Amino acid sequence: MKNWKIHIPPGVQDYLPDECYNKRKIEEKIRRIFYLNGYDEIETPIFEYFDVFTGGKSSIEQEQMYKFFEIGGRILVLRPDNTMPIARIAATKMKNASLPLRLSYISSIYRYEEMQYGKQREVAQAGMELLGVEGPEGDAEVISTAVQILLELGLKEFQIDIGQVDFFKGLIEEAGLDEEQSEEIRSLIDHKNMLGLEVLLRKFSFSSKVKEILLNLPKLYGNADMLKKARNLSLSPRCRNAIDNLEEVYGIIQDYGLGNYITFDLGMVQSLKYYTGMIFRGMTRELGYPICAGGRYDGLASDFGYDLPATGFALGIKRILMVLERQRALEKIPGIDYLVVVDQNVRSIGYSRMQALRKAGNRVEYFIPSKECQDPLAYARKKGIRRVLIVQARGTTEVVIDSLLDRVMDAKMNEGGETQ
Amino acid sequence: MITIALAKGRLADESIGLLKKANIDCGDLEDPSRKLIFQNRDQSLRFILVKPSDVPTYVEYGAADIGIVGKDTLLEEGRSLYEMIDLGFGKCRMVVAGFPEKKNAWITYANTRVATKYPNIARNYFSQRGESIEIIKLNGSVELGPIIGLSDVIVDIVESGRTLKENGLEVLEEICKISARLVVNRISLKTKSSEINRLIECIQKVLEDGIND
Repeated sequence: MKNWKIHIPPGVQDYLPDECYNKRKIEEKIRRIFYLNGYDEIETPIFEYFDVFTGGKSSIEQEQMYKFFEIGGRILVLRPDNTMPIARIAATKMKNASLPLRLSYISSIYRYEEMQYGKQREVAQAGMELLGVEGPEGDAEVISTAVQILLELGLKEFQIDIGQVDFFKGLIEEAGLDEEQSEEIRSLIDHKNMLGLEVLLRKFSFSSKVKEILLNLPKLYGNADMLKKARNLSLSPRCRNAIDNLEEVYGIIQDYGLGNYITFDLGMVQSLKYYTGMIFRGMTRELGYPICAGGRYDGLASDFGYDLPATGFALGIKRILMVLERQRALEKIPGIDYLVVVDQNVRSIGYSRMQALRKAGNRVEYFIPSKECQDPLAYARKKGIRRVLIVQARGTTEVVIDSLLDRVMDAKMNEGGETQ
Repeated sequence: MITIALAKGRLADESIGLLKKANIDCGDLEDPSRKLIFQNRDQSLRFILVKPSDVPTYVEYGAADIGIVGKDTLLEEGRSLYEMIDLGFGKCRMVVAGFPEKKNAWITYANTRVATKYPNIARNYFSQRGESIEIIKLNGSVELGPIIGLSDVIVDIVESGRTLKENGLEVLEEICKISARLVVNRISLKTKSSEINRLIECIQKVLEDGIND
């Protein structure tokens, strides 16, 4: 019989010390950048009513949510997304706060997904939302903050790929297609499946001009020159506005000196119910999937009763960890600086010595003899602690251990142990 | 460096033929050795030979940037990839097959029993039509299903239809046409765009020339 006590379910993980140390460092750096950019951190419950995440603009399928029941009450879910709770708060508890709202979070989401990369079902995220701002300045703020973070985290190379869902929506509107037909086309464009697209478009009777643009959509990606190419296709006002918006966003990012991180893809057409304008993904050569993603989602807060334009993004912390590991930029957790051995009759002196060392930023471990190890020097050698401080009534001795030679290098008397 | 995952077997041979026609150096890929990884001379390309159903997995995770694999495998695995080119070889059809005289008999079952190596394709096809089925996953000799009475029909790929005929089975419905596809990881296409696009252009040129011949 399998002993379930010692296993964890698929899709979750333990963060052991070295990984946890790096995860916290990443989170601290991200938190700092959010803070410096004027974003206030908030925390939402780990479970909420199912209703918060369904209907309207939600792009999360019911099957993806971990559901359970409030005793005698409604269906609850483990938070499958961080943005919707923030939209809920913006539309309710912070409705009277002055706009724009700048909010950030560092917390995990939970989704049941069969095919998700690495099959993670608890996904550590950090993200920010800018609510109450229309237009390119807000989008550029989100993208440039993402770039600031990726630079601060020390990623050696990365790029931000930007799309605009209104370009596709404009074409669908012009073609006069219903939801099912547009979903078929969307899926083929999303997979850059030119052949499938060509075969499917033959079935429809709308204008060949729109067909040709749709057919070319999978190829409309690259640097800023691509936007010029897209503009030269004869377009409806809605599509033109989408291109204008991207050019404005790009112009601002160029003014910030970050233009070289940017590429474009008008065939980026996922989560159309949710997104309403610019969308983007961050990527590196080291990883086959995005490290961050976001975009404009103007309609979402109105699901909660407050019509508010909004834009934001989220980073996948585990993915950042993987990229940094592949770029050899992760660190081992720092070792213990001092092992302190204290005679029972000078405990108070010992304790104040330890506190003084800790105040100076040292990692200090108090030696507690055990059955396995009575000898502090042997223990220090085993754990790789270089300095052992022995506090006795007659004074304090510092022993420096040379791990290579495995012997005591230097023992010196330290006056003052007694007199304190 | 670009990593290309090839589906072991006949598709790999045809893929190598195509790459050679496109003047892409395949290194010692043609050697019938047991090696799993091959590099070309200037180290710009690396080839890995994997089981066909693993090709989409390697590419989705970005362990390979490019893959060459049958559309049947892509449909079955349902991975999120860019499907860039129809390579035109490995042509066959995905079909529902069975005994035609039983064609009307089997729909009277509440749940049609379908034997297949492609459970996802079968499930999607029948559920799109609102039919409930019972899937029996087999790993080979699927034709035996209806003969032995294990299943009512099969879902499988057919090329000439000879195997079906020899066993008295017939194609009842065609699900879709199948051929080899070139797929690309969604991130690699952007982060390694110049290398990958050059490769794709070379291959596309060979395909176009082939059509004009």
